[in-house]
Amino acid sequence: MLNIFKHFWQVNWAENWQYRANLLMYLFYWLVSPIIYMAVWTTVARSNGSVNGMTANDFIVYYMTLLVIDQLTGNITIHIFAYKIQDGTLAGELIRPVHPMLTNTLVTNLAHKALNFLAFLPIWGVLCLLFRPDYTGTPWWGPILAVPAVILGFAIGFLLSGAITCVAFWTTRVWALHEFYYSILVLFSGQFVPLQLMPGIVQQMARYLPFQLILYFPIQLTLGRLSPTEIVTGFASALVWLVVSYLLFTWTWREGVKRFSAVGA
Amino acid sequence: MRTLKLLQTLLKINIQMSLAYRADTVINIFLSLVWLGWEFLSLNIIFSNTTTLGGWGIGELIVLLGVFRLVNTYMAALIWPNTEKFNASVRDGSLDYTLLQPVNSLFMVSFSRITIWRGWEVLLSGSLIVVGTRMSGSISSPLSLLTFFVLVLSGGLVLYSLWVVLIALTFWFTKFDNNVTILQALLDSGRFPATVYPAWLRIIVTFIIPIAVATTVPVQGLRGELSPAQVLGFLGISAAAFLFAMQVWQLGIKRYSGASS
Repeated sequence: MLNIFKHFWQVNWAENWQYRANLLMYLFYWLVSPIIYMAVWTTVARSNGSVNGMTANDFIVYYMTLLVIDQLTGNITIHIFAYKIQDGTLAGELIRPVHPMLTNTLVTNLAHKALNFLAFLPIWGVLCLLFRPDYTGTPWWGPILAVPAVILGFAIGFLLSGAITCVAFWTTRVWALHEFYYSILVLFSGQFVPLQLMPGIVQQMARYLPFQLILYFPIQLTLGRLSPTEIVTGFASALVWLVVSYLLFTWTWREGVKRFSAVGA
Repeated sequence: MRTLKLLQTLLKINIQMSLAYRADTVINIFLSLVWLGWEFLSLNIIFSNTTTLGGWGIGELIVLLGVFRLVNTYMAALIWPNTEKFNASVRDGSLDYTLLQPVNSLFMVSFSRITIWRGWEVLLSGSLIVVGTRMSGSISSPLSLLTFFVLVLSGGLVLYSLWVVLIALTFWFTKFDNNVTILQALLDSGRFPATVYPAWLRIIVTFIIPIAVATTVPVQGLRGELSPAQVLGFLGISAAAFLFAMQVWQLGIKRYSGASS
């Protein structure tokens, strides 16, 4: 099994390396929105002293950490898999004795992530010089505890995106559904606005939904802003959602493949 | 006159094309309402913690949101779909047929795809601008209103000129099919007044990829923050940008040799 992953890695790394110019463009595209919200919130915090207890530096640290975590937990499953269902090229992969999503697509994601991260690090360094985040308030155990949270967050996000992509087996087109999913993710994950500034009802709902596990939970964990109880319930809910999203994914996959008729092939 | 007739025909073709994907249209209208809800929520969160953002009140930010949505609609209805078609036509050589037609080639390249259903967003943006203007109260004189509209149009012209230059670059660098990504990436910066951004970002969105010229600047005109000389300056720049873009396009066409031949 390890050998299979190794081979997929070699192919996918080479493929991603070929499109390195596109990667840079993609990276740039994805950086702009968090930076804009960081600028807006630091302006507000500076003019008022603080917002809901968050100082300008708290916002800078939040968004700078978000850039790293988002890079690590995000996935591009729909972009690499949906078209395979749409144009029928998935047929070729289905013949192979390995799960197309849990091997090839997973490794494509990881290779894309690894290459992106290499390009992202120097950019992050420049942004640090420009925004000067002050990380002195961050405890040493924060980033360590965040490692398993990031892995769980990636796994949950990957499985949920996989399940949504599988809807293409029924509808062929999934872009609109994916955009709807993304709009919900934006609301409940703390992507543009830290969750503690959201209206109470949104915060309450976010606590029970999986989306905050992808961004807000790992970010706050890294920064050491969570109480021990919050840390424990966060990990517990991550494990529950991991199981739920896995079941959801395997169900949509199993039922979907049955309906697959290799459109266009 | 002939141009109008041509535009009418293109509209008809595009209506027929969009009717083929009715479900998509309905879902997309729903999605744009979802995003509007999100935009209101984020404005609400910001203004429940402060009274002004970069010196602007909530009314002015709603006007800005309207202008931003207008620019966004213009991009989504015309610019992005036509870019896609243009890039494909350079790749497969079908641009030859466009060039052979006895009309202005840039006109055909700019208007052959129109995402009709986006039209309703013009109404939505218009109502945001009206509501925002009423809420802010400080805007009164008809002259500032006129300045606002003129600046929106000239800002749109600047962005259009930039787009023409970007796609014309494909004639020199054939593999440049990422030509508009930078424009797409920075578009979101139009949601907020450029004055809140750090200097380097403000310089990028004002001078290099001038999103702010089409979003922040018109609202500044509405607030009466711009002197007549500045307004004339912006108009001059947009006229110059347009003439420059036309020159680049003509040079590019001369260079184009067709992919199929």
